[in-house]
Amino acid sequence: MSSRRARSRQSTSSSRITDEQINDLVSKLQAVLPEAHIRGAERVSAAKVLQETCNYIRSLHREVDDLSERLTELLATTEASSAQAAIIRSLLM
Amino acid sequence: MQVRNSFKLALLKQMLLGFQLSAVSSNSMSVPERKNAIKLSADAAMVFARGSTRWTRGLVAGLSENSNNEDLLRGILGKKYERLSLPCRSSWKIPRSRKILKRCLGLCSRRKKATATQHDVKSGSTLARRLVKKRIQVLKKLLPGGESMAGFSLLDQTLDYAVSLKAQVDIMRRLLKISKASNLNK
Repeated sequence: MSSRRARSRQSTSSSRITDEQINDLVSKLQAVLPEAHIRGAERVSAAKVLQETCNYIRSLHREVDDLSERLTELLATTEASSAQAAIIRSLLM
Repeated sequence: MQVRNSFKLALLKQMLLGFQLSAVSSNSMSVPERKNAIKLSADAAMVFARGSTRWTRGLVAGLSENSNNEDLLRGILGKKYERLSLPCRSSWKIPRSRKILKRCLGLCSRRKKATATQHDVKSGSTLARRLVKKRIQVLKKLLPGGESMAGFSLLDQTLDYAVSLKAQVDIMRRLLKISKASNLNK
């Protein structure tokens, strides 16, 4: 299959990814970033979107790490966590 | 772009399951062990909720590298574990998408040169292209399984991953809040 791809340098329009699709994706990424509600519809350069996306993902990783640490302290006691599990289960049912 | 409520619910349920399975509440665990179990539960739960996509497979592959994680991974993912561990068939996205991506992202910056430019005309677009290339390299390292992705897939999966991560953070925050509240009531 990969040889077929290598041979067909001129791809058919059906499998070609358009600039528009990529632009659309960059817009969607921009919309997900935390600054989105400040910026509104103003378009930012793709390089900026990529940079902010990297920063955003890194900050989310840090948050998960921090939250894990705080949960670690809280869930330390047997009594506490089984009660929490019961509460949450009741919320889910 | 947002996740569905069903996603968040599944995430929460599986995460709690993970806590139970790894017995985070037992006093026999050290603090770092407990934190690892919590993080692993959170990640495995996120994978479960999302299902099969390139970054979830990448994440499972990464987490599986540590053999200690296998039991908890299987416990949370169940049947999905085997499916997610299968080698990924190469994407249908053609390799040329990488070129198109770079050209397009470079092009976007070139169009903007008319409005705001500190650099001269010639170096402006090359600089932009180099920046984009650099950032794509960073992104590949941040995204689970990103090293094997390129072009359109990379961006598409990044969007998907960012949205799922945000949901994971939201659920963990809420869990923390509930846990604190229930502790105070004791």
